[in-house]
Amino acid sequence: MASRNPAAMDPILEARGVQKWYPNGYHALRGVDLTVHRGEVVVIMGPSGSGKSTFIRTFNALEDFQQGSITIDGLSINEDTRNIEAIRREVGMVFQQFNLFPHLSVLDNLTLAPVLVRKRPKAQVELEALELLERVGIGEQAHKFPGQLSGGQQQRVAIARSLCMEPRLMLFDEPTSALDPEMVQEVLEVMQELAADGMTMVVVTHEVRFARNVASRVVLMAEGEVVEIAPPEQFFTAPSHPRTQQFLQQIG
Amino acid sequence: MPASLSPLGPAPSRWKRLRTELFGSRVDGLISIALGAALVAIAFGLLKWTLFQAQWAVIQANSTLFAVGRYPIEQQWRLWLLTALLAAATGVSWGLLRALPRDQPSGQRWPFNDRLAAGVLVALALAVPLWLQLSLAIQLRWWGITALVLVLRWALARWGSDVPWGIQRLVPLLWPGLYLVGMVLISGGLGLIQVAPSQWGGLLLTLVASSFAILLCFPLGLVLALGRRSELPLLRWGSVVYIEFIRGAPLITLLFLGQNILGFLLPGGLAPDRVWRAAWVLTFFAAAYVAEALRSGLAAVPRGQLEAAQSLGLSMPQGLVQVVLPQALRVALPAVVGQFITLLQDTTLLSLIGLLDLLGTARAVMANPAFLGKSAEVYLVLAVLFWCCCAALGLGSRALETRLNPSNPARYQ
Repeated sequence: MASRNPAAMDPILEARGVQKWYPNGYHALRGVDLTVHRGEVVVIMGPSGSGKSTFIRTFNALEDFQQGSITIDGLSINEDTRNIEAIRREVGMVFQQFNLFPHLSVLDNLTLAPVLVRKRPKAQVELEALELLERVGIGEQAHKFPGQLSGGQQQRVAIARSLCMEPRLMLFDEPTSALDPEMVQEVLEVMQELAADGMTMVVVTHEVRFARNVASRVVLMAEGEVVEIAPPEQFFTAPSHPRTQQFLQQIG
Repeated sequence: MPASLSPLGPAPSRWKRLRTELFGSRVDGLISIALGAALVAIAFGLLKWTLFQAQWAVIQANSTLFAVGRYPIEQQWRLWLLTALLAAATGVSWGLLRALPRDQPSGQRWPFNDRLAAGVLVALALAVPLWLQLSLAIQLRWWGITALVLVLRWALARWGSDVPWGIQRLVPLLWPGLYLVGMVLISGGLGLIQVAPSQWGGLLLTLVASSFAILLCFPLGLVLALGRRSELPLLRWGSVVYIEFIRGAPLITLLFLGQNILGFLLPGGLAPDRVWRAAWVLTFFAAAYVAEALRSGLAAVPRGQLEAAQSLGLSMPQGLVQVVLPQALRVALPAVVGQFITLLQDTTLLSLIGLLDLLGTARAVMANPAFLGKSAEVYLVLAVLFWCCCAALGLGSRALETRLNPSNPARYQ
């Protein structure tokens, strides 16, 4: 894979021949390979049912898989719970439905994991959390509860919550799909700034503009397989695979 | 009582609102008048019967029996001591709650409710011992206990905020500690003479049996509810079979069954006599229902909550305790407390297996030829006593619900 940044040839995520069957026998992933290098932003696109969400959820073991291997920063995902928890500490995830904890204040949403999992002093984590909230533009909402915020604000809190664990890799599973149209931009802007700061990101999204402007590489998945991987300019203007051309026509 | 919090401008006067609610239209007015008249008639009849026709000698002569059954007289000082300790703990907790700064909406602020509660307490403490025609010595004890509550409440409300936080946060631990102390005081041991459970009775037995079952059925129900949702087949099927078996059997049959087989099932010493066997059966029975109530609460928490917790590195137990359970409990709380209230009332079935709980004592008293035909008086007192206990549970549950409400600003600190 030709990365635009030669300094970033250090892989942080390597998925090899990942296959997954759901308990009902459905073959969701049919041997998927993907390598993500440090500092890269990889955008995964594809029609619904193509397995892209399932795939990204295997990276932090929210979905299991039956064949193949996934290695994250040297740790390979296996049955061992402690190993999985170690990986999850280093991999942040932002969900389509935000999944903020409604019974905790915004600030407590951020500090819960660092205090509980990393055993860090609460006062110090709170200072960092407030800084992070400031950075995503909701510093003044720190003491509200998630239910009192708009969708866009909630998603920005969710991003800050993941960042508070200081992850080495961030996963975004359709982060703007559940948002009202006028709130999509504020979330994408935060993600763009994050990418500019050098965060390694894997993003499942339908936002073409984001993919064009921010992605290092764009991946097309269809029917549980990776169809094409290309830098955005090539992906959107001169795709090599007919399936990609068809997909671009459908969304364009 | 609650000042209106309506955001729609100034609230209409109470009188005006009442008028529009009761007499909105001609039909509304007729219904209101008819129902009002019926209510007045019933209240008047009840009052007349209570004050002039009922003969309360049956209660007055047997008040000790109703309270503690045949608990040996020379050991009753232990129950008085326990009552005094409970009163002290109440006063301390109450006073500290008043001392805590709370920024609740004005309608729910402490002082008003709290003065009302203190007023009711004083009125009851003055009236009930007199009405029961207790001896002066015992009347004085009740007044002393009431004074203890009020003095501690006043003192801690005044100086409670000066108590260091490290000590303040230990105060809730008073209650479980006191429960254990109470059990020792009631049953003996640790140098105190044993009082066999067969000698406990009346309200004492009802409270011991129901509080024991309420405290233990909750953790057991939680384990069953989690077990039923577990991915381990043995745990899941075990929980399902247990819950469905218990829910399919009437409590009374289980109580009779328990008297016979529990001695074999539980390790020796845990269910040595009939009272404890019955208390365990109540616990096992209620646990199945609590489990189902909690399961509905767990089902109400979206799957993404646990996923989000796990994606942040929390272990499964951490995710359950910190994220899923607080939300599930809030949903399940009314149903669980409803179950506790049912459990409290189910203790009356103990009278059918020959134990002298409140109802059993009442039946024994009514069988006494001296008090023939006085069942209305007895049952009314029983109803009021049970109502008080259930109302206390209900109030506690509502306070907890407010506290667990995520948009209530006064939950922490």
